Amino acid sequence: MSGLTTACQLAQARQKVLLIAHGIGALLLASGCIDVLGFQPADSRKPVKNPLNSLDSFLKERPDHPYHYVGRKHIEAGLEAFQRLTNHDSLDYQGSVERNWLLPSAIGALRPTCLAPASLANGDLSRGGRMLIVGFKELRDFYPALISQNLNAQDLGIQTDALTITLPPIPVADDMNVTPIELAHVFERPNFRANVVKAIGRHHKNYDRIGFPAVLGIQHHAEVIADLEKQLGKRIFEISTLPPSVPGRRLFDVLRQTFGQAEGRLIIGSKVVDGVIEKGQVRQIHFETANGLKPVTGKNYVLATGGIYGGGIQSDSDGAVGRVWEPIFDLPVEADQNRHNWFATGFLDSKGQPFAGYGVKVNDKLNPVNDSGNALAENLYIAGATIAGADWTRGRTGDGVALATASAIVEQIVG
Amino acid sequence: MRKSTEIVVIGGGATGCGVIYDLAQRGFRCLQLERGGLSMGTSGRFHGLLHSGGRYVTNDPQAAVECIEENMILRKTMPHAIEDTGGLFVTTPWDPLDFADLFYKGCLNCGVPVEELGIAEMLQREPLLNPKISRSFYVPDATVDTWEACRALVATAREYGAETLTFHEVTDLLVDNNQVTGVVAKNRITGEETSIDCDMVINATGAWGGQLAKMAGCEVTVYAGKGTMIAMNYRMVNTVINRCLPPDDGDIIVPVRTVAVIGTTSVRVADPDDYAIEDWEIKLMMDEGEKLVPSFKKFRPLRVWAGVRPLYQEKSEGTDLRDVTRAYTLLDHATRDGVEGFITITGGKWVTHRQMAEKTVDLVCRKLDTERLCQTATTALKNPDGQKYYTLGERLHHLESGELKGQLICECELVTRPQIETVMAQHEGNIINDLRRDLRLGMGPCQGGFCTYRAAGILHEQKNLSAYETNKALVDFLQERWKGITSIMWGPQLRQALLDEGIFLGLLGLDKLPAELSGVESPRLGEVETEGIYEIGVDPSLEIHD
Repeated sequence: MSGLTTACQLAQARQKVLLIAHGIGALLLASGCIDVLGFQPADSRKPVKNPLNSLDSFLKERPDHPYHYVGRKHIEAGLEAFQRLTNHDSLDYQGSVERNWLLPSAIGALRPTCLAPASLANGDLSRGGRMLIVGFKELRDFYPALISQNLNAQDLGIQTDALTITLPPIPVADDMNVTPIELAHVFERPNFRANVVKAIGRHHKNYDRIGFPAVLGIQHHAEVIADLEKQLGKRIFEISTLPPSVPGRRLFDVLRQTFGQAEGRLIIGSKVVDGVIEKGQVRQIHFETANGLKPVTGKNYVLATGGIYGGGIQSDSDGAVGRVWEPIFDLPVEADQNRHNWFATGFLDSKGQPFAGYGVKVNDKLNPVNDSGNALAENLYIAGATIAGADWTRGRTGDGVALATASAIVEQIVG
Repeated sequence: MRKSTEIVVIGGGATGCGVIYDLAQRGFRCLQLERGGLSMGTSGRFHGLLHSGGRYVTNDPQAAVECIEENMILRKTMPHAIEDTGGLFVTTPWDPLDFADLFYKGCLNCGVPVEELGIAEMLQREPLLNPKISRSFYVPDATVDTWEACRALVATAREYGAETLTFHEVTDLLVDNNQVTGVVAKNRITGEETSIDCDMVINATGAWGGQLAKMAGCEVTVYAGKGTMIAMNYRMVNTVINRCLPPDDGDIIVPVRTVAVIGTTSVRVADPDDYAIEDWEIKLMMDEGEKLVPSFKKFRPLRVWAGVRPLYQEKSEGTDLRDVTRAYTLLDHATRDGVEGFITITGGKWVTHRQMAEKTVDLVCRKLDTERLCQTATTALKNPDGQKYYTLGERLHHLESGELKGQLICECELVTRPQIETVMAQHEGNIINDLRRDLRLGMGPCQGGFCTYRAAGILHEQKNLSAYETNKALVDFLQERWKGITSIMWGPQLRQALLDEGIFLGLLGLDKLPAELSGVESPRLGEVETEGIYEIGVDPSLEIHD
């Protein structure tokens, strides 16, 4: 997310941009929504309504959070830029940084989020009414009855029911094990949709909205939704499923297309293995190709390799001693050396997992710094989850950090 | 509730299951009590090795002889629970050179079939082994699926009329005039108490044996010898690999289904229910693993666990646990302590459980003055589905050929929805854990990241559970798994943990369900002031107009 959005903005600003990615990143594992601040205090279970209003108290509690470096200005600018980049026929991100949507998760918990594709935003629970949640026997990643019961039990003032239907024949090799992405492709066929509508029959008549797992089309997603709404005569919404995430895939496709249109160059599937820092400047990096290592030289470098999950931060252990490092430039990393302190005893601990915040130490310009706070390379910027303190679980700030740091970096490079 | 029977067996591990089966087969009316599920204590927490006896030929020949006898018998009576991996004893550069000959001679003395392999031949069989290994001996080690085995023992016992009550904890032994007359047990799920009148009680509670014997006023010293094991994400060997040296820590790698397990340590702990896994144990086993398989640390540790061996010693002296005999002990408390109708069977190895049961029931027969022949060595156990020991490859083949139908819920271990529904119908209690034991759900490389959510959804549908019960089963399973992996989390395993966090926290928001829906208390919930409450009302923009 941070790499692609930074690259897109720079390319649109007529910079010559090369984006090298080892894989397609974490977008396929995410909900496809933009979380800026969902809970404050982080261990609260009551969602934040207006992230901007809660920002100050959040920052007070989290002096180590990357939002400190970028401030409100870049959070807002980052979200604006994101909406501009994703402005596309089939994708329409709705919302604002001043109001969280209250979306249902695939287990029926509350997911506050700032920006969501229209199809997901239509699931906003604060709009009330009666909802029917529809699942498919063939899809093992979505259980409407559990979602519905959990939602009903939370006294939200909404009433939901569940319906599981058998899908019309699916033209895939193994129809009982269809993946969300496969199903999303199948939903682009008008005949298939017509048969789905038949299978729902008249069950939906008494509801204000009908929720589906987020598998309603990929490239022609908007068309799929419009057609289903027309046929069923009801507002349709989607709920994000387990990975691979279809909303994440739609977003990735659009950002990639945007980057291409801006004449950015993209290499996916190659790993950057090292970088040379001399006299406070990155001189060169090397990336793997089928023909051995290749050097690249640039004016500025943005490191958006993710945190521990993305592989941008690595870890190892020798007994109680834990080692955490940044593998490309070997930048100083904020982490506890006692491996016992990496974890909370509870998987769902309300204070989060300490290791989730380990990352590269930076200054206000997002340059990496040494222990005394001096910049190690002035033409190297650290974006998103690679930054120390960017633990997205505590407060649900992951996408906000990615977009705000992208915006701050773009401003410094482009001016 | 009140029940009555002839003999009560306490313990649902391999020994208890062996005893109830033998008793039932010899026509005794009997009932088995287990405080958890079957094979949930030590029997479910070992490395799965079915000893050939090779490990004990030099220091405990009696144990070695018992092992090889039983190894040969169990291969015939429970073939569907055993994989004939074979075993190798190898001399690495760190091992005493003279031990190899001692070992070989010991095998011959104890009747353990042994054959020396050339190093080239050994490497052909197991290419990842250390090429600097100087000697290598083949013995008939094997691996056993303890859950499959205990299920079969109990199912067969049931055919003969025995009853098994799981999740029943014994709260008291009734003793009248130096004679045990009954047992009081509490159902840990419903809380209901059951009082069972009986003529005799058999204590097959392993490392917990001392605690139980105390209820009858008998002093029994059973050390709890903790052994820690690590499952690696890759079946790097297909043969059990033993270091050819006197028993030591981290001296064995056991291929079990899709993973390889390295074990074990041996540490005396005071309480069999409360012990920690130490860093030095993990480090030691990773280091030792590297000596057997030089790329060992490149594989990913999947989970770590410890079990407590019951180590009986009549005198409470001696500190080195490896000197305590691994052969079993049978105590008649009538002659030992003057308490009639009470027998303790303890110590031993998983592989000797049948023989331990036979000796126990022989004693029962003598005490009740009846002659009934033991047949457990010659009759095969019930195998309801007539299945062979399955391999993952076989499951895949059955899936691809369409023999195994239905949705694939656990992609790592190839577990389908119909399989899950069958197991769900058989169990009460924390069912996601039963799925793990019965089907290996969530035991593969993803460690339940995907299948646990699916299992919870199916559980909710199938068992008609409330949302709370379902969420709680999910939360409990995840927490249990978390406990098993934090001590081995670094590198790729840590990344995996973050993926699971991404799923359960980020996507599903499991941590944000209210406490009354998930059972997870939030310490600060009461004092949290939140800004702005959502007003819920029908939004006119939701209307669709043609």
